[in-house]
Order: sequence, then C-alpha cells, then structure tokens
Amino acid sequence: MPGYKIVVYPTDVIYIYDGGIAGFLTCVHESFYAKELPLNIVSDANYEPSLYKHKFVAADEAKAKTVRESIARNISKRALDLTDHLLLCHHEKKELALLKFLITAFRVGPKATSMLGDKEVSDVLAMERHMLGERHLLLGFIRFKDYGGMLGAVISPKNFVLPLLAEHFVCRFPNENFMIYDKTHNAALIYQDRKLEITAVEDIKFADESEEELHYQNLWKSFYKTIGIKERLNPKCRMSHMPKRYWINMVEMKEFL
Amino acid sequence: MDIMDKLTILTDGAKYDAACTSSGVTRKGPANGKGLGNVMPAGCCHSFSSDGRCITLLKVLMSNSCIYDCKYCVNRSSNDVPRATFTPSELADLTIQFYRRNYIEGLFLSSGVIKNPDYTSEQMAKALEVLRYQYGFWGYIHTKILPGTSAELVRRLGLLADRVSVNVELPSEASLVSLAPQKKREAIFTPMAQITQGITTGKAEVVQYRKAPKFAPGGQATQMIIGASPESDYSIVRLASALYGKYDLKRVFYSAYIPAIRDKMLPAIDTKPPLLREHRLYQADWLMREYHFEAEEILSDEEPNFNPYMDPKCNWAVNNLHFFPVDVGKADYEALLRVPGIGPKSAARIVTARRHSRLGMAELKRIGVVLKRAKYFIVTSDEPLGISVNKYTAAKALIDPNSFSMGVEQLTLFDAPQTRFLLDPANHVIEDVREEAALCLATKL
Ligand code: SF4
Repeated sequence: MPGYKIVVYPTDVIYIYDGGIAGFLTCVHESFYAKELPLNIVSDANYEPSLYKHKFVAADEAKAKTVRESIARNISKRALDLTDHLLLCHHEKKELALLKFLITAFRVGPKATSMLGDKEVSDVLAMERHMLGERHLLLGFIRFKDYGGMLGAVISPKNFVLPLLAEHFVCRFPNENFMIYDKTHNAALIYQDRKLEITAVEDIKFADESEEELHYQNLWKSFYKTIGIKERLNPKCRMSHMPKRYWINMVEMKEFL
Repeated sequence: MDIMDKLTILTDGAKYDAACTSSGVTRKGPANGKGLGNVMPAGCCHSFSSDGRCITLLKVLMSNSCIYDCKYCVNRSSNDVPRATFTPSELADLTIQFYRRNYIEGLFLSSGVIKNPDYTSEQMAKALEVLRYQYGFWGYIHTKILPGTSAELVRRLGLLADRVSVNVELPSEASLVSLAPQKKREAIFTPMAQITQGITTGKAEVVQYRKAPKFAPGGQATQMIIGASPESDYSIVRLASALYGKYDLKRVFYSAYIPAIRDKMLPAIDTKPPLLREHRLYQADWLMREYHFEAEEILSDEEPNFNPYMDPKCNWAVNNLHFFPVDVGKADYEALLRVPGIGPKSAARIVTARRHSRLGMAELKRIGVVLKRAKYFIVTSDEPLGISVNKYTAAKALIDPNSFSMGVEQLTLFDAPQTRFLLDPANHVIEDVREEAALCLATKL
C-alpha cells in the first residue's frame, strides 16, 4: 500500500536501543506511534550522556515483527535487505539516516530504493555500499592459518561484516572447520562439523603456528615479493586498492607496516 | 632443488603476464559436496603487489626451461638464468595449500616449451587433473595454450580449465617473424580457432545434456606485448577489435614491454616501460567492450596514436563536440555513455532515477556522476542550457591526471620528439607541459 503516510514531528529526544535489529525496528515503531522524529538513535554501547532528553526503547519482538512485515509489504523486499544491511554499518548516524529513509519509503512505496537522486535514499545507499565494499575486500584479504584441523583467521573491520562472510566461506570450504575472529566487534564465526554459528567472544588466543604452517607462509611471502615488477613500482596505487589498515592481518603485508 | 627455489624462479618467469582475473564463471561450491572451492561472479583480489597490480591467482610457469628463443623473453633458451620445472603434484599441492589459506582464487598456469608444445601441455594437464580429480578443486583455473599444441591436448586442457588463452604475443606478423621466429602465425591462430569452436559447441551441448563437461566456460583470452615492436596504437586497437569479433575473445590483455635484454632489434635497455600507453590501451579496450565504441572512433589514420593528455573517451568527446550537450533527462543509455564522467553504472542509475524525479547537478552528484568532467557536456533540469564554460577551466578538468602521475614517459618509442622532453622529471617541467596542454586544448573547445 504505497502512499502510507507517516507523520512525525522533529523532537530533541535521543532514542537509546540495544544495537540489535529488533531493537532498532522497535525504535521505528516508537517513532511512528509517538509521531516523533528523534534527534538521534544510538545503541547503548555508543551512548554518551548529554543534556538532551533520552528515551530507552527496549527491543520488542512483536513490534519488530510488525515493522518488518510492513516494510516487506508496503515498500519492498529490497528495502528490508537494506535495513538489515544498514544495521551492520559502522556509520554513527546510520540509525537516524535509516529511519528518515523509511519515512520517505513508506510514503512512496516500492520505488523508494530506485530514487537515487533523493538525499534520504542516496545517504543510506552510500552507507550500504561502504559496508558491502569492505565485505568484498575482506573476502580476498582474509588470511587463514592452519592450526591442525581448524583454519583460523583474524579480521578487524570497521563494519560488522562477519554475518555476510559466512555463506561465501561455507560454500568454499564445506569440508573444513574454520573460525573467523572479528577483533573489532568481539565476535567469531565458527564453522565446525558442518555447523555454523556466530557468537560473542572475548579475546581469542590462537595456538602456536606449526612448522608446516610457517613453511606455506614463507612460500606465499616469497611469491608475493617475486610477482611485483620493480620497473613498475607503484606504492600509491597499491595503497589505494589495499588500504594499510588491512595489512596487520595479512601474512605477506605485516612486515611492510 | 627445493620448492622455495622453484616457486621463486617460476614466479619470476611468469610475472610479466598481465591477466590475473577470475572472471567469466560462477560456481557456488564443489559440485558433489566433496573437495573445496567456489568462484565468485565479480572476481576477487586477494592482494596487491608492490607494482599496484591485483593478485587473484597463483601465477606461475610449469617450467622455464624453454627450447625457444623469443628475443623479448627472459626465459628464452639463450638467456643465462636458473631453470626449474614443477612436478604436477608439487604444483597441485601448492595451489591447494595457498587456496585453503585464502591467499588465492585459483591457478594461472603458463609455461616455457619444455621439449615440444605437446609434452609441456601434457605436464600441465596432469597438474590440473591432480587438482580437479584428486583434490576435488573447484576454484578458478586459467591455463595458457602454447602455440602449436595438438587439437587433442587443447581439448583436454579446455575441459579442465575455466579459461584458456593463446598469446598473440606481438601486434603484427612482421614483428612475430623478427622477434619470435619459432612461433608461427598458424601455430597461434589454429588453437585459437579450435577453442572458439570448442566453446560454441560446448555451450550447445550443455543445453542438450546438462551434465556434459564444460569446455573453457570462462571463455578465451589473449595477450600481447606493447612497445617491443613499432606498431601504432591504432593498429593495435584494430587488431584487438578484430580478435574480439573473429574469435569471440573475452579479454585482450596488454603488457608493457620491460627491457631485460640487449638486442639491436629491441628498445634500449634503459627505455622506460610504456605504462601510460598500456593504460590508454586498456581504456580503449574498455570503451570497445563496455561502451560500444568502434576502433575507428577511438583512433584513425590521421590520429594513429593516443593523446597523452586525455583519456580516449574525453578525446572522442572533444573531437565530436557536435554530439553535445546530452540531456540527462531524455537521452538514451547509449548517448549517456558517451559523456565523459558517466560510466555504465552511473548511466544505468540515471535511467532508473529519472523515472522518479528531475535530475539536477546535485542529484547527479548523489548518483555518482563525475561532475568535474560531465558538467561541460550535459544539460540538466537546473541547467537547461548547460553551464557556461570557461574554456581554459574546462580544458584543465579534462586533462587526465594520470598523464603526469603515472610517471612521465616517452609515449611512442620510435618517433615522438614532441613527447620526449617529458622524460625530465623536474616538476616545473610537468607543470609547464600541463599548462601548455590545457591552453592547446582550450583553443579546440
Ligand atoms: S616460448 Fe614463451 S617462454 Fe619460451 S622464449 Fe618464447 S615467450 Fe619465452
């Protein structure tokens, strides 16, 4: 039902939620029913006390479900994916941008995500692109080490891309056990005995690297050094394609830091 | 010889090869759930080497013990370098272990000619068989087909690999005769034609019986060395265009010649590799593949070499001012593609977005159009007459920053006195040239 008009009035309330998708969707529900456009929406982890009023919005599965279904029905499936994706972004204003987008989107219906010249729309699409871009880079830059029976990798991305890495690596290594540890977000993706889970973790310490593991690392480092053509040296170009912040977790790059 | 030495030698011999993409096929994962490997539709860079090139595949030679003596090649028989050959199982093991650690998307296998082309191809096929059948490897494989390989081995390799390529090596037969006398023209084009044929029939078979093994599903590519021989840019672009047409190639790769050998028939050893020229060729190639340009629109007999200061698309625009301005509110996709600063993505986005709202400069910017260039060639809802142009400012915006940042270089090897002074790396010289180019262009606008 396009043309579903949401009326909200700007307020100076800050919404605080738990950082999860259900929590955010509850904020959307709250905003629409209280007819208020909050000044900002922040997760409790990022909340810094200020002089503004704040409202703690507790995640409510039932309300979240209503909003979710309404997005799918009145806007589009794509808008729902976009919503899920935005929650993985690290951008600090993502929640407010997403709420503003949803207000517009409920008004205009299915065409919302193709209104590329519109500010509310292009803002959230840009955040999504940034997040998906980092995911794409990591699909290549992730380095596993073989810890005997388990491949282990460490990443430190800005965006919480871990959930979007799972499918790719499960398809790629269906018969391996592996773990990807996200240091930034204290989470790990674990695939063991063909079962997948993503869990919150504290600092993970990996075992020592075996001689065989070091052997392959050395071969790779040597390949890396040899494949570059010295007459074409171009560190700037390398850096723009492979930003330095990824190097720390890459076997062949660490020594150049 | 240990595996470390072999890998170093055989990587060193392979590094000049340009192709390192995993494009053309998509595979979700191992077909029967055994083994490992998938292929992403968009390709994937796993690292970037010190020269800024993407590393996707383990790019190595099966062997650099070559019996041929191509003048431009470091692996040629008369060159004094250490020689090595992988065994099929060594190579397969390396590939798998690199792949498991997510260093690579797969293997790019080339080789010098060990005893004869077929013997070498046999070794390559064995390595790929170990990978595919023993390890159940479903990652990407690109293999070279050596000139003169028999039809039977071409077929065997094509069924194992995702992409195959026969290098045309040099942009003309005359150059081939003088620089690679053991490689005959027919030895290159016979397998190339067989592969084209194999891919076409393969596609038909797959439609008929879905289980038929696919022959080179990622298509065929080729590569040529630029700057070792005297062809003009125009003849190279025309050759590429003909190859795309006649052999249905997926990609033509260009490799700037890096002098490693003293020979009176080759550029002097201290010649800088023609990187800007290589860059321009990729731009022109891209225009032909993604922007529907004809070779004859890019260059001509009157203008046989690339403009050093402008990319080929800008150059076309400046030579075809009557085509502009393009109205972003109405123009079709093809016309939008002709505007400097608008690529396939932003053209498609414009077509989508204008269905819902009028597009002014601000909207175009949000869409991702590079306004710095595009604004001189379009009319929009807020600038229905086009922006008023200061010719000098426009000229400056159209000049390709890469002309200067990619390292100033000599553009044409044999006759380009007007660009030779660019070799002076002193910055004020670059500034002067930039200024002069802008002035010269401004008069044209
Ligand atoms: S056949 Fe290939 S490896 Fe051998 S010399 Fe010629 S180009 Fe080099």
